[in-house]
Order: sequence, then structure tokens, then C-alpha cells
Amino acid sequence: MSTVLRVESIVKRYSDHAVLNGVSLELARGEAKVIMGPSGTGKSTLLRCINHLTPPDEGRVFLEGEELTSENINKIRQRLAFVFQDFNLFLHLTVLDNVRIGPRRILGQSKEEATERALTELRRVGLEDRANYYPAQLSGGQQQRASIARALAMDPKVILFDEPTSALDPELTGEVVAVMKQLASEGMTMLVVSHEVAFARSAADKIIFMEGGYIVEEATPEVILRNPRSDRTRGFLKAIGEQEAV
Amino acid sequence: MIWNTLYDNLPYLLHGTWIALQLLAGLLAIGLVLGLALALVEVYGGRLARVCGIVFERVFRGIPAVVLLLLSYYGVSDFIEIPPFLAAVLALGLRSTAYQSQIFRGAIQAVPVGQMMAARALGMGRVEAIFRIVIPQAMRHAIGPWTNEFSSELKATSLAYVIGVIELTRQAKYIISSTQGNILIVFGVVAIIYFIINRLGNIALYRLEARMTVPGFERRRA
Repeated sequence: MSTVLRVESIVKRYSDHAVLNGVSLELARGEAKVIMGPSGTGKSTLLRCINHLTPPDEGRVFLEGEELTSENINKIRQRLAFVFQDFNLFLHLTVLDNVRIGPRRILGQSKEEATERALTELRRVGLEDRANYYPAQLSGGQQQRASIARALAMDPKVILFDEPTSALDPELTGEVVAVMKQLASEGMTMLVVSHEVAFARSAADKIIFMEGGYIVEEATPEVILRNPRSDRTRGFLKAIGEQEAV
Repeated sequence: MIWNTLYDNLPYLLHGTWIALQLLAGLLAIGLVLGLALALVEVYGGRLARVCGIVFERVFRGIPAVVLLLLSYYGVSDFIEIPPFLAAVLALGLRSTAYQSQIFRGAIQAVPVGQMMAARALGMGRVEAIFRIVIPQAMRHAIGPWTNEFSSELKATSLAYVIGVIELTRQAKYIISSTQGNILIVFGVVAIIYFIINRLGNIALYRLEARMTVPGFERRRA
């Protein structure tokens, strides 16, 4: 399996408090990894450091072997999509324009090509009938699915998901998780910060457990969820009520 | 009779109105372009640019319009010959720049930071994100307060008579001095003209606001 995303010893400090203490990970093509861990542990910061929305203090990131720098960052981000916890759909644009703006204005496709691509992705997330709605007219779950369609329309190599269901009412998380499962099964390479254990169990190749700015352990869902090596992982899963074996 | 005099002088009043409208259009245009630029500098600029912007804005908001007009006309005339109309457009335009910059700054800051972040995360450059994502939303927030600025600048054009711009108020003074008295009636007519222009302008701006409204940016009627 070829490595698509490589993250090397990311360090991020705010004043003298280190949020990330040298985090490294790799994603192979088609792999889905879920990052879990207590809040305040640097999971979202890590995701933002990977695409330089928050520039890391130290460490390097490679996408398909190419290192992210301040010069190529816009080019790299076109292939390294990001899905936000609170969706961040463009509020003044219809759903269709939200999904179309990337291929049209950033990738420079023709209007017809971009529209077709956008409609394809909206169909993929089950929102083709909402194409002409504005974000304010959609439920949270629909907005998050639209934002996933916006990411997909860029034809990304990797999608980073930053707690994609945390801002949703419980009854709306299912529709978003279903879309993410479908993407994973279609071979999309994904790095997901989430506490959706059901998603992790059925769709993730690996679960990464983070605490205090470090990766504590990384293993398959069966191992992490049934028999984690670390007591801290065990304690966390117990706290969220997901420790399966005693 | 005063009514006959007014009727005879109507072409002068209308011409004065026309000059006032040109002055208004000129100063609002300067204020719009420079005010938006200043707001962008204040929100996105480097520290030095930001400080310069704030100093400019404090100075022009802190000096009375009449004093600015006098400074602009007599001050500049010491160095180069400048027609009163141009001096008035400059003085009031720069003053409007300062006020409009504050309208646009507030409107830009009312756009959630996540909007910029999402645009950058797609791979959009910063400048393009400002123009495609932030400004279209900020402008929708700005129309309401801008209507206010339109009204106060229309009224401020009447101050230009102190440097000899023959606008509506100045024409009224001419009529009064040539007919002796009837101040109340002449200025009453002038007041009605200002009032009508103001209402028409506001109605047009409210229409624009309604047309640009999308769900999530519903207009807040004043």
C-alpha cells in the first residue's frame, strides 16, 4: 500500500503550553483512521496543523510525497479536503454554488463541468433535491452532508474530518455517519477526529488514541475497543461507555 | 408675491438640487471605494497599515464638516487653485470615507471567521476569499447602516455653501436676499426638496437590500 499522507513529529505550542508534542502518523491509500481521545488533547489542533490552517511550530507534512510549504499550500489544500465541525458552508450561496465554487473557481473547470460535478456529489450525499436551497434553510445534518459534497467536488486524495457530528442533534448524526461509511467503503482515504464509536468500529481501519498531545496507541478497532494496551485508552472508553470487554 | 418669485426661481432651485446631487454622488463614491479599502486594511492589514488607517479615520471623524470644508478649500488653495466644488467633494468624501470604513469594518467582522477558514481550506487564496466569500456577505450586512450614511451625507452637502458651492441651500440664500424676507417659505420649500430626495434614496436602498436578501440574511427593518 502506498502512503498518501505522512505527518512527521508535529509540535504546536500556545505560549509555553505545548498542545502537540511531536505527533506522527501515516495514511495509506484507501485507509480510514479515526482519532479519539479526551477533549483538550490536541486532536482538532492536529488536524488543523496537517493542512496548515494552524501552522505547526515544528514537524512536516507530506501529501503524495510532496512537502507542504507556504508556497504550495493552496495547491496542496485542493487535494487535502477539510470538513469542519460546524460545516462552514458559504452562507450567501446556494447548496449548488457551495459545491460548485471549488471546481469552478479554484480548479478552473467550465461552468457546465463544475455544475455536473457538483450535482454528482450532491446525489452521492442524497441532497440533489436541495441544490437550490440556502444553508440557513437546511438542517444541521443536511448542511454537514452538503459540506462533505463540497469537499468531494475537489476530487481530494485525503479528507480530514474535524468532529463532523459533534455539532449535530443526536437524531441527525446517523445520516452523516452513513455518508462517511459509504465513502470509506468506496476507498476514500480519511482521517477522522470523532467519538462515533459505531463509525470507528465498522468503517475504520485503525483507531488512534491521543492524550496530552501524544499518540498513546494505534491499533485496529477490535484491539482498541476490546483490549487496548494502555490503561488510559481503557479509562477513556469506559468514560464514554464503550469498553466492550472488562 | 413670494410664490411667483419662487416659481420664477424654480430653475435655480432645481440647478442647486442638481449640484447637490452631484456633490452627494461624488462624495459617496469616494467614501465607498476608499472606505471599503480602509476597512479591509483595518481588518486584514499589517500593523503599520492598520495604525495609519485608524489615525486617518480618527482625524476625519473628529473634525466638524464645516472646518474640513474650510481647510480643504482655503488650505489647498494656498498651494494650487482648486474649484470650490472639487474642494467640497474631497473634504466631504474623505470624511465619508472615515464613516463608511467603520460601517464596512463592522460588516466584515460580522462575517463568521469560519467562512474565511472554509475558503482557505478549499485552496482558495486569501485575496480571492475576501472578494468571493467575505465581501458579498459583508455588503449585505452593510446596506442598513449605509442607508443612514446616505441620509446624513445628503444633508451634509448643504454645508458646502460656506466655501461658495452654489448648491441648493446657497440658491435659497440668493433668492431670499433678492426678495428680502420670506425666509420661512423659501427654506420650507428647500426642506421639502431635501426630504423628498432623502425618502427616494432610502426607498431605493431598501429595495436593493430586499433584492440582495438571501435566507440567513433577512433584513432587519429599522
